[in-house]
Amino acid sequence: MSSNVSLVETVKKQYAFKMKAYIDAFSSLVGIQFIAFLFSLGGGSSSMGTSDGYHFELKFYSADLVIIFTFIWIFVTAITITTKPYRNQDFTFVTNRMSSSLSNILFLLSASLLGAFTAVLSRFLIQTVAYFLLKEDLYIASVMTSEMMIGITVSLLYVFWISSIGYFVGTLVQIHKGFALLIPVIVIGSLFYDGFMQRDAMLLDTVSILFFRVIDGPVCD
Amino acid sequence: MNVIECNGLTKAYFRKNVLNGLTFTIEENKITGLIGRNGVGKTTLVKILAGLIKETSGEVRVFEQHPFNNLYTSANTILVDDQMFFPPALQLHELLEVAQSFYPNWDMELAQRLLQYFSFDPSHYHQTLSKGRTSTFNMIIGLASRCSVTILDEPTTGMDEAVRKDFYRALMKDYLAHPRTILISSHHLNEIEDILEDVLLIKNGKTLLHESISDLKEWAIALQGASTVVQKWLVERNCIFQRQVGKDTLYAVVRDDFTKENKEEALRGGVEFIPVKASDLCVYLTNDTKGGIDDVFER
Repeated sequence: MSSNVSLVETVKKQYAFKMKAYIDAFSSLVGIQFIAFLFSLGGGSSSMGTSDGYHFELKFYSADLVIIFTFIWIFVTAITITTKPYRNQDFTFVTNRMSSSLSNILFLLSASLLGAFTAVLSRFLIQTVAYFLLKEDLYIASVMTSEMMIGITVSLLYVFWISSIGYFVGTLVQIHKGFALLIPVIVIGSLFYDGFMQRDAMLLDTVSILFFRVIDGPVCD
Repeated sequence: MNVIECNGLTKAYFRKNVLNGLTFTIEENKITGLIGRNGVGKTTLVKILAGLIKETSGEVRVFEQHPFNNLYTSANTILVDDQMFFPPALQLHELLEVAQSFYPNWDMELAQRLLQYFSFDPSHYHQTLSKGRTSTFNMIIGLASRCSVTILDEPTTGMDEAVRKDFYRALMKDYLAHPRTILISSHHLNEIEDILEDVLLIKNGKTLLHESISDLKEWAIALQGASTVVQKWLVERNCIFQRQVGKDTLYAVVRDDFTKENKEEALRGGVEFIPVKASDLCVYLTNDTKGGIDDVFER
């Protein structure tokens, strides 16, 4: 009566299960992106000036903030799914550690895709609301589909990258609770230490090399 | 065929041995009762068998494979207890569908009918169920999954009398229709006595006794009579339990190794032989003192 199961089959089933069971993660994405959307309506990095009796004000309506909020969301989600209740859910049904991790990775990839997709597209919503409700004069560089695709792909990779950091941190904390204290101490401590040594923050530099090009780049132009 | 084999199984938590060289084998399609006092490592044992935790040392085999982190044993074993964790976002009927996707032998019709019989609302959530209802729902999952090895750890926690009876009856009926290896750990041996074939008695992390239930009923016998006479018969016998009944009468439980002549002689001396119930025997055997709680009050 005992039956064989393959790893691939189990991972597929678990992935389907997690997409249903972790629905809360997606509802919090809606919430967090909505908040980011409201913040974005203020118009980021505005500049004002007066010349020849004219007063002008320049505002940028972009999806920057929504993408940053999505980063925070995926980070928290990735940590959450490493916690005990979530692992126990797996073990109520058929699993081993390998299939559990693989299905988690697949889930995070799907969540990243959804997060990146909605975040990048939210730009149009923000600009539409700015135009119609806030009655701003809008100057939009025309967007090509290919640029859009690049934007979504790059955002996806960044969101997925953040999720892997979150998953790693979460896993370390599950191995030993001490990491919950140690990791913030190392991150914040290194900033203070570098400041004390009067040099650039190494940790921040490493991250910013990967980051700020994108923030300036095509994703959130 | 032996489905479960344990050899010198040890599990230590913080250097304290919970299981201490446990050795036993369980054959295919038998219902075995796992009996022991609180904290002797029953739950630890079943978690090891289900592959949830790893043993410290010793050998454990389920379907001739090491259960820890093993997909094959995970698919063919189910552990039902009150700590089963289900995702809070899913409704009961969705949980059944998830279980169906995972367990190859799942019987959806049975699950639905049991759900209906115990009047569950399929659109409720697992987290909102009361203690007894949780146990009942977990039991439905356990029965309908039809895993070759079904482990029930204190399955009746919080269930009321009627549900408990229904549950044992359902278990028995489903077992007869689809035989499988079942391991039940319970405090209430007298309740499950009728459905068990074997009893595995654990004390201090070791196997104390592994007998069929019919042998267990004849394993020991109680002597009751005048203290002096009974005491005489207890010499050179390992007394399992004794209790003073009235002023000068002693009730003592010993291993039943009396010959027919012995018994006749004892009967002439005014000693009465009383059979010992299996559940009582298990309590006596797992007591650390011979007199039970009475010893605490007698100084």
